[in-house]
Amino acid sequence: MDCTQFKTSITAFREDTLSGDQRRSAERHLAACPACSGLLAQFNSLDAVIAEQKAASPNTFAATRILQRIENEFERPGKIHSHGWVRMLQPVAIAIALLCGILIGSYTATKGTPGTDQLVTSPGNIEFLRSNLFISDFADEDKILVLNK
Amino acid sequence: MTEPELIEGILRRDRNAFQYLVNRYEKQVIKTAFYFIGNMEDAEDLSQEIFLDIIYSMGSFKRSSTLSTWIYRITVNKSLNMVKKQQRRGIMVRLESYFRSVPDHGVAKEAEPSHTGNEVEKKEMNEMLHAAISRLPENQRIAFVLCKFEEQTYRQIADIMKIGLPAVESLIHRAKLNLQKHLVYQFSEYQKT
Ligand SMILES: [Zn+2]
Repeated sequence: MDCTQFKTSITAFREDTLSGDQRRSAERHLAACPACSGLLAQFNSLDAVIAEQKAASPNTFAATRILQRIENEFERPGKIHSHGWVRMLQPVAIAIALLCGILIGSYTATKGTPGTDQLVTSPGNIEFLRSNLFISDFADEDKILVLNK
Repeated sequence: MTEPELIEGILRRDRNAFQYLVNRYEKQVIKTAFYFIGNMEDAEDLSQEIFLDIIYSMGSFKRSSTLSTWIYRITVNKSLNMVKKQQRRGIMVRLESYFRSVPDHGVAKEAEPSHTGNEVEKKEMNEMLHAAISRLPENQRIAFVLCKFEEQTYRQIADIMKIGLPAVESLIHRAKLNLQKHLVYQFSEYQKT
């Protein structure tokens, strides 16, 4: 057996599924080849790595956290039991609702107080809205201005 | 609580049933996810999504297999999706750093906790094994992980994967050969360093 042959039969060697002749040939090669002996040692050390992974335990509070998450999901009043994509859209809907609230608020404020048009449409005010809503850039600033008219 | 009682309880959204479900399957779910993802914290986070999925999909559980088998299926699917997401994110991060072309060397790195030679070797072995497993075709990976790490029988794996016994045997055999090939290469490269 040469190095290439040993490398392709290393799993069978470790699992002891080689024929008697093949096994003896592999053992003779191992005795004469430090490279393949080293390789076999590395493969053997994988057993300890796998055993360690199997012995790893989840955090003791993992179950509590899962139950808390389930509780949150089902305890909210009026909660619509929804699937993944609906759950993903919820933060977006909240953000839009917030934005509308602020815009309506600004609109009513400008109507009631003359001279504040400047404040609503000024770039500084838009910056203020952006930074407060953590929005990096409005998709269409003109629409905001139309809403504020 | 019997399995039918548990299922009925979950369908009724009964808190005791939720608690029983989590206590009964927590380890199975988290550890299976961990074997695919390779990180316990991520596996724990994902397990929350998995349990919600189990609860929401309970109505579609056909009871043609055991609950445990069905939960394995959901866990494996969710874990593989997470791995795919992480791989995509990894590609993006590598692309970003490539285009930014910030040389890594010369940048002061945070001091890493010191490890003994043996720990380093074990950590590297772990990484090499995980890298080799993650390179396996999906079906081979599922069969191999369930067999080698979860210690499921070929019959159980066949049920989880909804395939025949000979197919499981073939998948595991090919997985071992592929792993051998990847690891021989990685170990040879490792020895050169
Ligand atoms: Zn050799």
